[in-house]
Amino acid sequence: MSAALDGRAARLLPRGPRLSAHDAAVFALRAKRDAAARAEPDFERLREQAQQIKAHALDHLDLLLERFEASAQRAGARVHFAADAAELRRVVLELLSQAGARRVVKSKSMLTEECGLNPELERHGIEVVDTDLGERIVQLAHEPPSHIIMPAIHRSRADIGALFERELASPPGDTDPARLTEAARRDLRGRFLAADAAITGANFAVAETGTLVLVTNEGNADLGTSLPRLHVACLGIEKVVPGLADLAVLLRLLARSATGQPISAYTSLLTGPGPGGELHVVLVDNGRTRLLADPRHRSALACIRCGACLNTCPVYRRAGGHAYGWALPGPIGEVLAPALAAGPEAARLPFASTLCGSCSAVCPVKIDLHDQLVAWRAAAPRGWRERWAARLGALALGSGVGYRLAGGLGRALWPLLGRRFAANPLAGWLASRELPPHPGSSFRARFAARARRAEP
Amino acid sequence: MSARDEILAHVRGAVAHRVAAPAPFEPARRRADFATFAAQLAAAGGAPIGPLAAADAGARVAELCRVWAPEGRVLASDAALLCLGSAGPWRPIPADAAPHALADVSVAILCGALGVAENGAVGLDGREARPRALAVLCERLVLLLETRRLVPELHAAFAQLPEGALAQPHFTFVAGPSKTADIEGELVLGAHGARELVVVGIDD
Repeated sequence: MSAALDGRAARLLPRGPRLSAHDAAVFALRAKRDAAARAEPDFERLREQAQQIKAHALDHLDLLLERFEASAQRAGARVHFAADAAELRRVVLELLSQAGARRVVKSKSMLTEECGLNPELERHGIEVVDTDLGERIVQLAHEPPSHIIMPAIHRSRADIGALFERELASPPGDTDPARLTEAARRDLRGRFLAADAAITGANFAVAETGTLVLVTNEGNADLGTSLPRLHVACLGIEKVVPGLADLAVLLRLLARSATGQPISAYTSLLTGPGPGGELHVVLVDNGRTRLLADPRHRSALACIRCGACLNTCPVYRRAGGHAYGWALPGPIGEVLAPALAAGPEAARLPFASTLCGSCSAVCPVKIDLHDQLVAWRAAAPRGWRERWAARLGALALGSGVGYRLAGGLGRALWPLLGRRFAANPLAGWLASRELPPHPGSSFRARFAARARRAEP
Repeated sequence: MSARDEILAHVRGAVAHRVAAPAPFEPARRRADFATFAAQLAAAGGAPIGPLAAADAGARVAELCRVWAPEGRVLASDAALLCLGSAGPWRPIPADAAPHALADVSVAILCGALGVAENGAVGLDGREARPRALAVLCERLVLLLETRRLVPELHAAFAQLPEGALAQPHFTFVAGPSKTADIEGELVLGAHGARELVVVGIDD
C-alpha cells in the first residue's frame, strides 16, 4: 500500500452521512447506466465495436493525426502540437496573449486539469472562469474536481449554498439545487457575454472531416464557443477517431455509460471557426506516446472519460476523488497515472484497488482495467518492507517445514506482541485491520486431535 | 525537431502492428416514428407536440409564445417563418446579427434537419441555427421537425447528415433543455442554455 495515499484517503474520506451520500449519489449513476444498458438491445455489441474501433484508431494514430490536421486546416482551423504539459501551457498562453484575451471562459477538460493550465494562465493575469456548474463550484472552493463528469459530487448542497452565499451573494441558508443553479446561471451568463476567448477540451476529433465533438448537458461549451471570437480546444492525441460511423458508435455509448442518458443534451460537431472567428486545436502528447508504445497498457488510451469505472468502484465510492491526488481518479486514473503522471506516488496508485473487476465489467470500450492494475503492481518499484516481507513470505510458504515453523513462531509471538503483531513495518496491509481471535493451536494440530477422537 | 514531428515520430515508432478496422456496425432494427421520438424527448425533459398538420403549427406555437412571454422577443429562422406564416409574435432573425445582441431573446424558433428516434435528439444544421449562440442564449427553444426527417438511431443520423452539413462551422444535436445534476446529483433544468425545449412534429 502507499502510505501517502492511505494518509490522504484517511484525511479526505467524507465521514458519516456525507460518506453515505457520496456513495449513494455515485452509485445512482451506476444504476442508471445499468438500466440504460439493459434497455438498449445494441449495447453489448456496441461495446465490442467500440473496443475494435479504438484499437484500430490507436494502431493508425499517426495517419489519423495527419489526416485530422489536414482536414481541420482545410476547414480553417489552426492545428498545434504540444509534447508535454509545459508546452501546452506555453502554446495556449501565446494564443491568448496574441489575441489580447484577458477574460476566458472554459468548458470542462480533464486534459487541462492534467496539465495545470488554469494556474499558469492566472499567473499571467488572465481571468479563467470554469463554466460547467460542478467545475465552477470547485473553482470557487479552490480545489480540484473529484469526479470526471461530476466534479463537485463530494460537496453537500449545504456546502455549496454557503459557498455561493459568500461568492455569488445567493440568499443566506439557501440550499435548494434549483435556486443555486439559477444563481450560478445568472453570474456565468454575464461572464460568457464578456469573454474574449473560450478554452474547451473535446470528447472526440474526427479525422475524416476535421471535426471536433463537444458533449455537454448544460450547454456551457456551446455558449462559450459561440460568443467570443477566439476558441482554443485542447485535446490528447488519443481522441482522434477515423470517421463519422465510428463517432456514432462511441456517442451511443458515452452518455449511456456516464449518466444513463441515451444522449447528452448538447452534442456539437464543430468544423472550422465560426464567421469572423478563430479556432485553434492543440493536440497534446504528455506521456501518451509512451503509453502507446507499451502493448500491455496501450488500450488504456481508448478511454472515453465517461466515469463509469469510478461510479462502480468500491474504493472510489468510499474514498472520494481527492484521495487519488491526481487529475483523473478511480480505476482509469490509477491505470493512466503511472504512465502520464510523474513521481513515485503515481506508481503506487494501482495498489488502491480491490481488483474486484467491476470497472472492467462496465467500461464502454472494454479496457481490461483490473488486469492492467495487476500488471502495474508487478512493475511498481518496491520498498525494503515489501522486499523483506516477500522474502520472509517465500520462506514460510516455500516448504512444509518453513510453513510449520512460521506458524509456530506466529502463534507464540502473537500473544506477546498484541496489536503490534499486525501493526508492524513488515505488515503494512494489516495496519488498518483487526486480527481475528487467537486460535490457541494450529489447524493441523486440531485436525489431528479430531482424527484421534474419531478413531474407535 | 518540432513538437509535431517529434510526436508523429514517437507514434510511428509505437504502432508496429496495425489491426484492421471492424466491419460497419449493424444496429438492431427499430422504429423511427414520432411516438418513439416523443417518448425519448419527454424522458430528456423536452416537450413533444403533435404531429400536427403544417397549417396548424403557426397557431399552436403562437399560443405557446403568448403563455410563456407575452411581451418577450421572439425570433424565427426563415425556414420556420415559411412554416409558421406571418400571423404571430415572431420576427425574422436580423441578418448578420452579432450573437451578443441576442442575449434578450425569449423564444427562438428553428427547423430541425433531422430527429433521432432512439434518443429524442434533433439535429440543427449550421445554415439554419444562425448565429449559433441563439439556440443556447434563448430562454425557450421551439424546434419544428418534419416527421419524414426522423431516423431510427445515430448511425442513420450520421449516414444521412444533410449534404454539406460538415462544411459548415457547426452541426448540433439538441436533446431536451439544458440541464445539470452537479449539486448532489439532483436534476435541474435550465443550467446555461434554454430552460425549455418544445419539438413540434409536422406531417406534410
